[in-house]
Amino acid sequence: MLSAVTGTLQRWPIVGRRAELEVFERVLDSVEQKGLVIYGRAGVGKTRLADECRQQAAAAGHPTERIAGSRTAALLPLGAVAALLPRGAGWPDADGTAGIVALFEQARQFLLQRHGGRRLVTVADDMALLDAASLALLGYLAAHGTVFLIATVRTGEPVPDLVTGLWRDGLLERIDLADLSRVHLDTLLHLALGGPVEAGAEQEIWEVTAGNPMYVRELVLGGLESGALVERSGVWHLEGRLPSTSRLLDLVEQRIGQLSAEARSVVELLSLCQPVELGYLESIAPAGVLESLERAGLVMITLPDQAVRLAHPMHARVVRAAIPQSRARATLLAQASRLEAALTAQGPSGGSGPPSAATSAAAASAALRIALWRLDAGGQPDPDVLIRGAHLARYAHDFRVVRRLIEAVPGDRLDAVGALLLGEALYELGEFRDADRVLARGQQQPSTEQVALRLAVTRAKNAQWGLCEPEAALVINGAARAVITSRPLAEELIADEASVLTFSGHPDRALIVLDRITGGDRRTRVVRAIASAPALAMAGWTAQAIAAAEEGRADHAALGEELAIAHPAMHVVNLVFALTEAGRLAEAEQLARAGTETVAGSRVPVAQIFFAANLGRIATLQGRATTARRYYAEAAGLADANRFAGPRRLALSGLAVACAMLGDAAAAAQALAERAAGPPFGFREPEQHLADAWTALASGQPAEAAEWLNEAAALAAATGHRTAEAWLLHDLVRITGQDATARLLELADACDSPLVRARARHALAVRARSAPELAAAADDFEALGAMLLAAEAAAGAAEAYSRAGDPRAAAAALRRSNVLAATCEGASTPGLVHADTAVPLSGREREIVLLAAKGLASKDIAERLYLSVRTVNNHLQHAYAKLGVGSRAGLAQALGSER
Amino acid sequence: MTPEQITLVQTSYEGLGPRLPDLTARFYQELFRRDPGLRPLFTTDMAEQQVRFSLKLTQLVQAIGSLDELLVHTRALGARHVGYGVRAVDYPTVGAALLDALAAVLGDDFDAETRQAWVLAYNLMAETMLAGAAAARPVGG
Repeated sequence: MLSAVTGTLQRWPIVGRRAELEVFERVLDSVEQKGLVIYGRAGVGKTRLADECRQQAAAAGHPTERIAGSRTAALLPLGAVAALLPRGAGWPDADGTAGIVALFEQARQFLLQRHGGRRLVTVADDMALLDAASLALLGYLAAHGTVFLIATVRTGEPVPDLVTGLWRDGLLERIDLADLSRVHLDTLLHLALGGPVEAGAEQEIWEVTAGNPMYVRELVLGGLESGALVERSGVWHLEGRLPSTSRLLDLVEQRIGQLSAEARSVVELLSLCQPVELGYLESIAPAGVLESLERAGLVMITLPDQAVRLAHPMHARVVRAAIPQSRARATLLAQASRLEAALTAQGPSGGSGPPSAATSAAAASAALRIALWRLDAGGQPDPDVLIRGAHLARYAHDFRVVRRLIEAVPGDRLDAVGALLLGEALYELGEFRDADRVLARGQQQPSTEQVALRLAVTRAKNAQWGLCEPEAALVINGAARAVITSRPLAEELIADEASVLTFSGHPDRALIVLDRITGGDRRTRVVRAIASAPALAMAGWTAQAIAAAEEGRADHAALGEELAIAHPAMHVVNLVFALTEAGRLAEAEQLARAGTETVAGSRVPVAQIFFAANLGRIATLQGRATTARRYYAEAAGLADANRFAGPRRLALSGLAVACAMLGDAAAAAQALAERAAGPPFGFREPEQHLADAWTALASGQPAEAAEWLNEAAALAAATGHRTAEAWLLHDLVRITGQDATARLLELADACDSPLVRARARHALAVRARSAPELAAAADDFEALGAMLLAAEAAAGAAEAYSRAGDPRAAAAALRRSNVLAATCEGASTPGLVHADTAVPLSGREREIVLLAAKGLASKDIAERLYLSVRTVNNHLQHAYAKLGVGSRAGLAQALGSER
Repeated sequence: MTPEQITLVQTSYEGLGPRLPDLTARFYQELFRRDPGLRPLFTTDMAEQQVRFSLKLTQLVQAIGSLDELLVHTRALGARHVGYGVRAVDYPTVGAALLDALAAVLGDDFDAETRQAWVLAYNLMAETMLAGAAAARPVGG
């Protein structure tokens, strides 16, 4: 039966995809475009189209390569792309110091040389299943125009960031593949079978497959083999029944089930270890077996690399699932030994003379594959390979893989470096107790001073941020400082001590410690900047804080990615904070938004949380209460999801303040209750008590609020957190009218922040009850963009004018307060409402009064605003009372220039 | 395609008889109405073009019963069309114009069954022409 259709089946026809192939040709011709992504459901023909593209490119003389993701290949970093790496590359140094970017660059140079500068057309099949390091390498090579990428992504699989990034920048063309139409199915059958098909057969195949090309192929090949599809007088008929089920797996299983024992063992081997060298398979399988498998469309032989693969990823999955575990293990281990022996025979330098590009690539991939198979078989892979693989996964921030690889290293082979990698991964994954245990054990292993330093720093970070035990972090740091005394490592430890102090609420002590650092290498400067920028900002020395954050960012960029160091985005977070403390609210907001976009989608949750929380904080200062509430809620949710207890506490505190400003006492209390469930967090602790104060106020307990503010201000004073002390004391003035002028003036002198200065000036004006000074304070706040504070100061000015017997100026100040308050998204604070004087107009009152002052009759106003005349008159009466006028003429006068 | 559909295509085409020139004239009219951008692709005299088209179409219709014979014509034809600047995206437009022309000239004889047979026949011709076109086109630089 098979021989009747051999001719056609050697190249299963491609139908309904020509427009897509032309897109490929066009994109390949373009220099700007970096590749093509093919999306679609399983079986729709993504792999086939990608391979067709590759063949067309090869026919035109382009160098080509094919790599495939799989659930197992995803385990070992760079395992899938070893063919793109020069021999001996692919490995950072044992302690991870050699830059991974340098490795990528090495790969780029290697490929440039190997292909004479031509783009390597690379199929990345099932790309979503590639490991993160492989994706990063492909992204690098594609962005540099070294490879032209043809990626397939199955619908429903997560789309790799690399793809979305390039696609968003317009560098990747996207093709969405759909099932075949019935017309295309008809043409496909006609071409595949080589002649007309009777109506019943076409009808049945359509009903079973609904145009899915993979189903069609399996049905037709299965039907030919079983003899259900037969040709009589040049027409194809369906004699028997096609498989009754439309489930693809059953179809594949049926076809595999009909194979001879020899053929089946080849297929099983391929499902576990593909691609396998053609020469080896020919040596183990009887003559003719491979040919018959190829003719049956089950295996695919690629000639340039003499490799054999199963024709479709689906085949591998089905076959693999059916192999008994014991046999799979035996096969994997046997293949690992075989490949290892071949590698040893070849020698470490590949024999005499320079190795060809092909053999060196094969050698690079072999070590990875051996490790992978052993890991898969539950056997023991080479620990060195696992640890190096973990370095690569760490570079890609793929901490789950780091953990899986290192945990496969036997305990007695886990050295200090392995412990460092595992400990950091456990910290990132939120397993803080385990992280501490692993890192402490690593500290007992012999290591270089550098590794010892990183173990100490990581363990201290885990103690502080994970376990929320800053005292323990200081003990860990102190112990390390006693042992590690050579510079620059000793200085880095000092910087790290300062970091612990800054982020546990001791900016004063942090700044003293930082003074002990004299120069330091770049890495030390980066660590120092992480600690110093916030400490300086909290001390109110905002110009220095801004400079420190900017230098830290520049140094970090020059340093590249390293172990046991914060993410580069944290410098931007620090810069946002410093700008906020400097009262440069608009700039801070803009930077934080840009930062959010940069880290969105990447795996840096801590930066995302801090950007959101800072945006909430900026909105609070701007008086945009609803926006603040939204950002803080987002930050709290992110912190919760990523188990960052400290940042969660900051976010929930901010959320309570925003809710209380909106008058929602219940929501504020709820946020406080959630906060109470977590551990304490020293960083910016005085500010956290704003939440207690504002919630008490919203619940009608101003005395309790004042108590919280006084206490927290004392804490801020004791720790050198001047900007928080100014905020707390100023809120005391706003809420209770209590005098804090003297201390605020001192703080304004000690700080370089215009925001602190404006707070002091406002307090002074309140004490003096000076209307012009209150109006000037409103000017200051408005200039900074602090609209709620400006509105409150203007309301205070109105009161003071009114008391001084100047109703005209009072009304003008009140109008101004209303205009400013209108930008505050519903904030209602004591400073906006004064019972003993004219109350600001409500939005509706204001609308009506303005129309009335223009001379409109109540009836006309009512029509215009869709209100009843009675409601309009009610509002007008209230407004008359508030403004102290008795008629419309009086209104016009009271509104003065606003007409 | 079923053998019956092949027969239907061939008999309906024969039924055109002396109206074949009407079909080709109508075809180009419909084609340029649907996509005026295609007109510049035709550089030769349109009268001559119409004669060429009807000769080629006749060949294809006669060959459609045998795939091997059809492929001989369509592959070469597809390869030539690359040189004329015709792209894969143009093929559906050509097919629609051909069906419109057939409907206009055959009138009531162009029933639903005949139409379906022509849809399948055209797709078979188009896909095999495109396969020939792909083989002929150099890729990338």
